[in-house]
Amino acid sequence: MTSTLHRETLENAVFRAGYGALLVFMLLPLLVVVVTSFSASRRVAFPPDSYSFVWYVDFFDSTQWLDAFTNSIVIGVGTALLATVLGVLGAFGQELETDSVVGSVVAPVVLIPLLIPPVILGITLLLYFNEVGLRGSYASIILAHTLWATPLVYFVMRSVFSRFDWQQLDAAHDLGAGPVRSFVYVVLPNVKHGIFVGGLLAFIISLQEFVMALFLSTPGTETIPVLAWTEIRQALDPMVSVVSTFLILISIGAIIVAAIATNLEWVSKQLS
Amino acid sequence: MSEITLHDLEKQYGETTAVEEVSVEIEDGELLCLLGPSGSGKSTTLRMIAGLETPTSGEISINGDDVTDDPAYERTTSTVFQDWALFPHKTVRENVEFGLKMRGVPADERAQRAESMLERVQMDGYGDDDPTNLSGGQKQRVALARSLAVNPDVLLLDEPLSNLDKRLREDMQIELREIHEDLDETFVHVTHDQDEAFTLADRIGIMDQGELIQVGDPDEVYENPKNQFIESFLGDTNFVNSRVTRATADAVYVDTDLGTELVLPTDAEPAVDEGTALTLSLRPEILSIDQPSADGGTAAADASEQLATDGSSRTAVTGTVENVVYRGSTVRYSADIDGTSMFAERTDASTGALSADDQIRLEWNGADVLAFREDGTRVSL
Repeated sequence: MTSTLHRETLENAVFRAGYGALLVFMLLPLLVVVVTSFSASRRVAFPPDSYSFVWYVDFFDSTQWLDAFTNSIVIGVGTALLATVLGVLGAFGQELETDSVVGSVVAPVVLIPLLIPPVILGITLLLYFNEVGLRGSYASIILAHTLWATPLVYFVMRSVFSRFDWQQLDAAHDLGAGPVRSFVYVVLPNVKHGIFVGGLLAFIISLQEFVMALFLSTPGTETIPVLAWTEIRQALDPMVSVVSTFLILISIGAIIVAAIATNLEWVSKQLS
Repeated sequence: MSEITLHDLEKQYGETTAVEEVSVEIEDGELLCLLGPSGSGKSTTLRMIAGLETPTSGEISINGDDVTDDPAYERTTSTVFQDWALFPHKTVRENVEFGLKMRGVPADERAQRAESMLERVQMDGYGDDDPTNLSGGQKQRVALARSLAVNPDVLLLDEPLSNLDKRLREDMQIELREIHEDLDETFVHVTHDQDEAFTLADRIGIMDQGELIQVGDPDEVYENPKNQFIESFLGDTNFVNSRVTRATADAVYVDTDLGTELVLPTDAEPAVDEGTALTLSLRPEILSIDQPSADGGTAAADASEQLATDGSSRTAVTGTVENVVYRGSTVRYSADIDGTSMFAERTDASTGALSADDQIRLEWNGADVLAFREDGTRVSL
């Protein structure tokens, strides 16, 4: 072995160690949250004096938390569906209209909601939804979250469509498939993993979103982040850690599902 | 019955005109090759026939029906694409069945027809394969089977052979020709390869800069090109600058860069005036190669000959061989003729092999020379 190779190996090792240390340092709080959720006492302390599942039992006994959980899921699924449809169609339409004026304004228009501070959006939407009679409905929060999630789905799909061989669409039309059937039979199978990942992303965005939900939710539609915030203001007990643990688990689960979905074909090719 | 009529077809993308005033009648059962360099508008024309592009103006009719505004999925055409555009997530059989499925053909009939099409292109047994694992030639066959499966009135081929290597391409040309003869359908084949066009075509349409310049039988466009572009595009040739010195009823006399006067015999008095600049085309196949006789003589001395009574006019020039290129079946000699470079070819290298710096004598019949004006148009001689 030459000395240069030694040096390169060493540099790589130092880089990896540094990167790893940074990652651990940033992820450690998550571990702390999970550990404190198993505390037996009323206060959040790390490490806990004693361990138990008492707060988990409390969670499943609390209709307030279970309702918030249900609300979050309903709103998350609603957002994922709506944002995916809008984001996919927006990105697809833009690919077909690359030369037109409409095509050139899609990207900036879709991006606008991401650039407006959520506080402003929250207040504005609250006033707006009051006027149109949507106050207190799931729809109001779903629409607000869709404003944020659509740009993300849209940009995921832009990159997915950029790898799509558009001649296939020509071939489908040429063989007699109209616009709908060529999309379903030819485009969709090519981009379904991307759509799934985009939808999952929209779901997680909705699950975590707090500011707009705070403005728009009523006691009947409170999501987990909103309820957690009101609870913390009263007392910092390990229930918040339990809820956070569930959120962390859902997010990790979603990432794993997304990774499997995108790599399923790769995996199957490796196995065959 | 599948004749196609293109009438004043035009396609513009913003400011650029891709296709301009293309009018042609493609006969039923004909194999027409659209030949031209890249960017000449031949693929755009094909895509307009397929319905994949909408013409800016003009009309397309197939079997007498105006289809100009019909979308691709309502037309009775089928296209084989340059990159084949097979559906990667479908098996070979599903690819071939796709068009039939869209037409609502029942599954068992579909499978049967797909199988016979795959057999037709010698791809039987590959039905369950993933098309992404096939070689270029195999993909090409599957794409052909997929297009033929829908039994189209018109088969459109958009340079489907250009991504194959030479040997495979030549085999496929023969096969395409056979399939065309079997099916008796109208084919429109786009290519930039003149050899391919000559091999396949019943008629060739030559395009340049969006315009369809000439349509005709292969030998007609080769021997009787409408302009200088076609003459240069259809094969290698020597272009020689010249100027008209005298025009009579049966011949045009020109002064050339070859340092000699040339006689171009004519049937009718051509519309050229004294002093008109002409570009002459001397194809290598009209030039016969010799070694000059021992006394050599200057080029001018034995060059210009009298016009013979049969309308031919032998002319010869001498010069020095610059280089010799062995090209397999032919040997190409480049020669310096009074400061102008010319080349000629010989199929048999063994007789009187010439090497660099040898003297060379090129002789031709003035009646075989084509002449073009400065704007590229041909002078009819």
